[in-house]
Amino acid sequence: MPAAARAPDGRRARLRRALRALGLVAAGVLLVVVLAAWAASIRPGTYSSMAMGVPDLGGAAAVVGGHGHGGAEPSTEGAPTTAGTPITELVADPARPADVRVELVARAERIVLPGGEAVDGFTLNGSTPGPEIRARQGELVEVALRNESVAAGTTLHWHGVDVPAAMDGVAGVTQDAVPPGGSSTYRFVAEDAGSYWYHAHQVSHAQVAGGLFGALVVEPAEAAEPPHALDVVALLHTYPGTSRTLDGVSGEVRHVAAAGSLVRVRIANTDSSPTVAWASAPFRLIAIDGTDLHEPGQVEGLRVAVTAGGRADLELRVPPGGARVQAPGVSLVVGPAGASPPELAAPAEALDPLDYGEPAPLGLDAADPDRDFAYDIGRMPGFLDGRPGIWWTINGRMGGDVPAYVVAEGDVVRMRIANGSGEVHPMHLHGHHAVVLSRDGVPASGSPWWVDSLDVGHGETYEIAFVADNPGVWMDHCHTLPHAVEGLQTHLVYEGVTTPYLLGRDSGNEPE
Amino acid sequence: MRIAYRVLAYLICALVMLQAASHAWASAGIALFIGEGGTLDPSAEGPPPFPEALGFMIHGMNGMYAIPLVALVLLVVAFLARIPGGVVRAVAILALVALQVTLGLLGHEMTALAFLHGVNALAIFGVALWAALRAGRTDAVEPRRSAVGVA
Repeated sequence: MPAAARAPDGRRARLRRALRALGLVAAGVLLVVVLAAWAASIRPGTYSSMAMGVPDLGGAAAVVGGHGHGGAEPSTEGAPTTAGTPITELVADPARPADVRVELVARAERIVLPGGEAVDGFTLNGSTPGPEIRARQGELVEVALRNESVAAGTTLHWHGVDVPAAMDGVAGVTQDAVPPGGSSTYRFVAEDAGSYWYHAHQVSHAQVAGGLFGALVVEPAEAAEPPHALDVVALLHTYPGTSRTLDGVSGEVRHVAAAGSLVRVRIANTDSSPTVAWASAPFRLIAIDGTDLHEPGQVEGLRVAVTAGGRADLELRVPPGGARVQAPGVSLVVGPAGASPPELAAPAEALDPLDYGEPAPLGLDAADPDRDFAYDIGRMPGFLDGRPGIWWTINGRMGGDVPAYVVAEGDVVRMRIANGSGEVHPMHLHGHHAVVLSRDGVPASGSPWWVDSLDVGHGETYEIAFVADNPGVWMDHCHTLPHAVEGLQTHLVYEGVTTPYLLGRDSGNEPE
Repeated sequence: MRIAYRVLAYLICALVMLQAASHAWASAGIALFIGEGGTLDPSAEGPPPFPEALGFMIHGMNGMYAIPLVALVLLVVAFLARIPGGVVRAVAILALVALQVTLGLLGHEMTALAFLHGVNALAIFGVALWAALRAGRTDAVEPRRSAVGVA
């Protein structure tokens, strides 16, 4: 027998047995805790977006019986309260005739990719991207969507347009997904001129990538001065199984413009990852996310960040040899016929909107907000509706326990978005435009920087502010759409607004 | 149980090898793809359009799910296997694996952590190999209680 077995070691053996028993007890307790967490994470088959999340009043006093959360109880019951304004009543003037009317037919079909390869994707009126919709500021836009064959159902969301809540196109929040054979009509007044896009918000991580999107341009009521000789959209999109395309074309897209003329290129990133754009000629970044910048200066040799879902409008004067506006893998050439401007590598230095352009009044007092929220993004192992994984968290919580931000109409809202999750997140708030106040404690010193999609990198903290001027229930989520599936989503909820639509696995609605 | 412990420890070694191999394969693939003019949407669902992207999927699934699960089972087996130092080494492996997943996820933006991720991979491999070899030694079986009485 080895020495370890001798009698003097009997005490050690007992100690070891005790430790082993303790270990087994600890393992048992851990197992119970894990199982309880799993069970608690499972959501009911259907639930209201108003009952998702724990109400966060942002420092304001609760209005008794005002909002749809039913008090402090973070209920996961499916039945929304009936008090208040139903979201279905938040529409554009139904009596007003449409100025711009578009019919869109959504289909699931094989699409031929630019490389000649065919994949199962989606089209609108037989094409992807869908038709470009143009309206003039102040016009009423009416879009009739008919779902011919998208099996999971579909919707259209007007990304960046502050539409009335019932028109937001979020399945399970502002409407039910339109089933195959069904229709839905969207009506809204194009109040703000700028570059926008529309896309499906039902199973959006798959439907948008697969092609259910298009451009929406709202031209100013009065033409720009001096006018643009050419005003074009550049939709950057990566279809499944291919490299990046520009307006559905891989490689190069050409537009003829005379040397010396002024052109506007409206770049929109419809992918799930942030990207960059740059130009071979001096340019001005004249708008971000549909809002004009104030006195933007001319720059050269800088790249411009275009976050997922975001837009960046470049204005440039065409040099004699033409100009090339580029994003990784694709480019748009503007110039005289046959012009061949050089292809350049992406510049190392980036234009920083935090100090670009000249300051102007914000139109809101962010120093004394009515609501002050934190949106801290993290990542933790846990269960999301029963599925184990390493999921995104908001303020340390995941799934149905994330904060739901409650506001009242007219509130000035300040929100701090911090990211310690290890990955960049392009955060998108529906129905509102927010202005950037600071990044990492450095106050914004350039033009007012209004966004609907904001890149928040790991380790970054942004302070933004907005006026709660559009009652409804609004998604506030990461536009890296698979991240929304993985839990990075919540809602901005107005007191007194209710929605009859339901989320959950049995609801048929899956906005992510 | 001792055999189960050894098999699981060796399995972790093999899975760590698969991690290194799958990532090297995928890295070569992405370099070639970009070198030939390709671009990708790294956050999109579904694999990027080059075959070696399968390596990233293997690396992710194996690293985030398979290896932590095996390390957890190894710890449970360690409590039952009565191998001197067996529990300590299993705890060390599980702790290093937890660290490894954290380094891997955070390394996407803090790339210096990806460097440590590579170093820690060899630490996991080393401890797992050590645990397997030690458990295989003939004198490595802790005597049963009855044996103490006989001595």
